[in-house]
Amino acid sequence: MTIRDADIAQLTQDLYSWALRKVPDDTKQALARARGAETSETARKTLDMMLKSAALAESRESFVCSDAGVPDYLVKIGTKADWDSNIRSAIRAGFAHLVDTIQPPLLKHVTNPLTNERGYAGKDMPLVSFDLIEDADYIEITCSPKALGSGRWAAMELFTFPSLATIETFVIDTAIKAGSQHCPPVVMGIGIGGTFDYCAKLAKEALLRPLGTINPVPELAAMEQRLYDAVNALGYGPMGTGGDTTVLGVHVDFASGHGYTPVAVAFNCWINRRTRARIYGDGRVDRQE
Amino acid sequence: MSDPRNIDLPMSREAAAELTLGEMVTLNGPIVVTAGIPTHERLMDCMRRGEAPPIDMRGAAFFHLGSYSRETEEGFEVLYMNPTTSTRFNPMMPDLIRHFGLRCVGGKGGLDAHCAAALKEVGGVYLSFLGGGAQIISDGIRRIRNVAWSDLVAHYRLVELEVEALGPLTVAIDAHGNSLYDQIAEEAALRRAAILERMNHARDGRGA
Repeated sequence: MTIRDADIAQLTQDLYSWALRKVPDDTKQALARARGAETSETARKTLDMMLKSAALAESRESFVCSDAGVPDYLVKIGTKADWDSNIRSAIRAGFAHLVDTIQPPLLKHVTNPLTNERGYAGKDMPLVSFDLIEDADYIEITCSPKALGSGRWAAMELFTFPSLATIETFVIDTAIKAGSQHCPPVVMGIGIGGTFDYCAKLAKEALLRPLGTINPVPELAAMEQRLYDAVNALGYGPMGTGGDTTVLGVHVDFASGHGYTPVAVAFNCWINRRTRARIYGDGRVDRQE
Repeated sequence: MSDPRNIDLPMSREAAAELTLGEMVTLNGPIVVTAGIPTHERLMDCMRRGEAPPIDMRGAAFFHLGSYSRETEEGFEVLYMNPTTSTRFNPMMPDLIRHFGLRCVGGKGGLDAHCAAALKEVGGVYLSFLGGGAQIISDGIRRIRNVAWSDLVAHYRLVELEVEALGPLTVAIDAHGNSLYDQIAEEAALRRAAILERMNHARDGRGA
């Protein structure tokens, strides 16, 4: 037994379909906590609607949002996994099959950036990035469909020997620039250091961390708390129409680099789309979320 | 908490004038929706040429909603819809609001001060829809009245629907030129310095 193209293709479809229909449990819990703490009546009503929307989509097995976004997969290959698959091609085939069969059907969101024409497929779609997990005997695939609220307002700046105050000011100003537009309350992922591309990847992966988990690096845990309090103090609130809850969680990761330091900020809108599963050589699929 | 105010469309100038920021409403009657920049450009072309668009927009409720429409043997059906970010239509909306006398616009994320000024002139409001609210919002659809420009991808088409109890929607720009978005952005800008100072204190261990 080994992991084959058909297994990867099937999981590609399942992960995307799950992501569109279910708001993660940690996110629903965070929304409910925010609902309890909100002092604005409009914000409380908006959070109630969010919880109702999530429950309806789940019970009807339909979409939370009409914008299914574009497919974005992160594949982590266990170095001890047993696989015999052209993984990228299998993901492409799986997504093409999903487009043909999913109910309700998807809108055309894949956009050619040179012509703005939209369809279901395009160059480099689905977007797939790869990594390794040492000693693991499985392949782990994460799917996080990207649309406006979960992609458009990300930003990066490159600094030279920045202080923590400079880094955190950039994060706050990025939150101000996004303002009311990214379907708050959001999750924020922040990357610090490395290189241009590595930093962006850190920020994007930081988004995927479950809400409520404590950062193991004490300095970063403290930074996350500062940023969480600060962004919520801005007052944009649910859907940006005012309130105490603009962010559900701030997750920071870092890498060493040169003295020039990239800082990347990524967002996920309130539905916080992310699904993840592990697939083993015997065909077993272990859905993580 | 109070129930949302239920309003019949087309919205009268008087009904629009009564709405207050942060209030929630539901809507009954005809609405026109699209999520496309090309659609707005076609509306602008109609306006410049003095031609009527394929769907009557005068005094309409016009929303930035992306919808999945498809043609069946019985005609078009709409499977789901949900708001898109309105701010990208900022450059075109003031002219469209004034030309068509749009009493009621909406989507998510808001419109800018130029749009709020145009809404004030025509006595119109901006309503905020729940992003990620496809189930709640689609439940308001009663029937499809018209689908125009169906050469475009589904969510760019100009679609006229009959809705009942659509919402709840939040009044985010009122008919008197007041905008929650502008108020909140101004307040955030005012708070910024104190927030950064609190962060400095917390970082230096001096307490919040």
